[in-house]
Amino acid sequence: MKPQNLGRQSPTSRKLTTGCEIIDGCLRGGFPCNSLTEIVAESGCGKTQLCLQLSLCAQLPISHGGLDGSALYLHSEFPFPFRRLHQLSRSFHQSNPSIYANHNDNPCDHVFVQNVNSVDHLFDIMPRIDAFVGNTKNRFPLKLIVLDSVAALFRSEFDNTPSDLRKRASLFFKISGKLKQLANNFDLAVVITNQVTDLVESSDGLSGLRIGNLRYLYSSGRRVVPALGLAWANCVNSRFFISRSNETICKENDESGRSSVSIRAQRRLEIVFSPHLPGSSCEFKITPEGICELQA
Amino acid sequence: MTETSRLPLSSSIRGKLISAGYTSLSSISSVSSTDLARDVNITEAEAFDILKLVNQISGSNGSSSLINGAKNAWDMLHEEESLPRITTSCSDLDSILGGGISCRDVTEIGGVPGIGKTQIGIQLSVNVQIPRECGGLGGKAIYIDTEGSFMVERALQIAEACVEDMEEYTGYMHKHFKANQVQMKPNDILENIFYFRVCSYTEQIALVNHLDKFISENKDVKVVIVDSITFHFRQDFDDLAQRTRVLSEMALKFMKLAKKFSLAVVLLNQVTTKYTEGSFQLALALGDSWSHSCTNRVILYWNGDERYAYIDKSPSLPSASASYTITSRGLRNSSSSSKRVKMM
Repeated sequence: MKPQNLGRQSPTSRKLTTGCEIIDGCLRGGFPCNSLTEIVAESGCGKTQLCLQLSLCAQLPISHGGLDGSALYLHSEFPFPFRRLHQLSRSFHQSNPSIYANHNDNPCDHVFVQNVNSVDHLFDIMPRIDAFVGNTKNRFPLKLIVLDSVAALFRSEFDNTPSDLRKRASLFFKISGKLKQLANNFDLAVVITNQVTDLVESSDGLSGLRIGNLRYLYSSGRRVVPALGLAWANCVNSRFFISRSNETICKENDESGRSSVSIRAQRRLEIVFSPHLPGSSCEFKITPEGICELQA
Repeated sequence: MTETSRLPLSSSIRGKLISAGYTSLSSISSVSSTDLARDVNITEAEAFDILKLVNQISGSNGSSSLINGAKNAWDMLHEEESLPRITTSCSDLDSILGGGISCRDVTEIGGVPGIGKTQIGIQLSVNVQIPRECGGLGGKAIYIDTEGSFMVERALQIAEACVEDMEEYTGYMHKHFKANQVQMKPNDILENIFYFRVCSYTEQIALVNHLDKFISENKDVKVVIVDSITFHFRQDFDDLAQRTRVLSEMALKFMKLAKKFSLAVVLLNQVTTKYTEGSFQLALALGDSWSHSCTNRVILYWNGDERYAYIDKSPSLPSASASYTITSRGLRNSSSSSKRVKMM
């Protein structure tokens, strides 16, 4: 067994751009390789949007912040948004004309989609990923694994009894261990999404357990906590939280004198914990072209 | 170390002997019991006993202890006091730890995700390299990463801040010699961290078994950090009794390493919920039997918006807590505690 020489490694690990400058700035370049990153948010905050965009960005050349690789998208929430991926890939193709100038590649060709129905199914799939990475018929090696979402796999199958919870925790560590091994062996970025649960104040005080930089997580005006509890929180390297709040904008309509009310969703990405990032946050919006920064 | 200080006598009498100038066995055996009693200011019977003892020892070839290699507590206290400690860069935390993480001991540090366990691990692996001239150990570090949370860019950031602090310190201490000092570079600090990435518990056990040989070849290793001891042992273990046996064997190996090479072992641990008396409580992972495996135990927790460290178990330190904060430069004193001092 030989130690790795840290001095000879590049001082910053490879990062995968999100395609949004503000988020990249907040994350110091994007999602790190050889690391497990979790995105926690309630539905409709843009978890899947961000993951789809990352899957496309992975094929960007390294000079453009990508990983020069393909993406494997494991989805357990149905249906998979093929239409949306297609829409994103078209605008992705257009916004990166230099990369696709020489060949008539479709960006979708480098996003592999696999459904996951249950935890056992996931354990069937994961050993096959090794072979999949090794199989380099593709122009791009596999560089990103997305699991969207881990919560959907667990939320139906297990009871809230001590023995079931213990079994569940052991499975968390098994999944995380295997994914981290893949990430380490092939220098992959691994992104996992997770749902939230509403926080109900209880007498034992544990539901208010603080994990990470933020004292409370608020989304849509409710206090929430990431699903799957403390055991799962130990399994990820970084945790990001996307919150959503609706902002009402009143516009005075000059002609008729009446005012129209429009609601704009404010989405904010916050760093809950991460070994290499300080606590910070940034706002973004979702457009037909994907996730992008707010115009000032 | 004088010959007299090794005698199996009460510390007060030994102190008197040494202060009277009787430092060697021959100097004691050459005087009469009356003279010895007068010089050292003890009773003649006591002096007689001392002479008998000294003659006995010098007759039996000078081996002062019953069992070979045994030491008395007095010597051990001296040794312990002379042992260096690794600073955490947070003086409040250092002061409750008695000056820092102690060498020769196994220290366990646990807390919830995001409390800063990995940050403390990286900080210690940098701080152990602070040269002796700056009050450090000038050693090297072994970092065993089981979780993949070690980020080189973060280690570099902390190393840069550490080098800056050392430059400031040496510049302040010896203004005239600054020019001909050889400065450490942040990249050298990274080179002196032996980093092992461990992907399964079998690898972890194999590595711990290999450490003895590795450290024999790299004698200047002064700290071994395991981040975290827990991760691989929370999966795939249906037989919990077997897990306990494997873990306690590992703990013994760490204990042996710490004593043999007088280095600090720091084991980072996760927290879990424990069901006791009808309610769930937070506790460090790996169970009750594991809690006997470490000499010192430090628990990290949130108190309001501040991070705190609490000494849960230590044979020599009183239980106390101190706040700390994590800045871009690494672990530091909490800003509010320094404000509080200023206000008082």
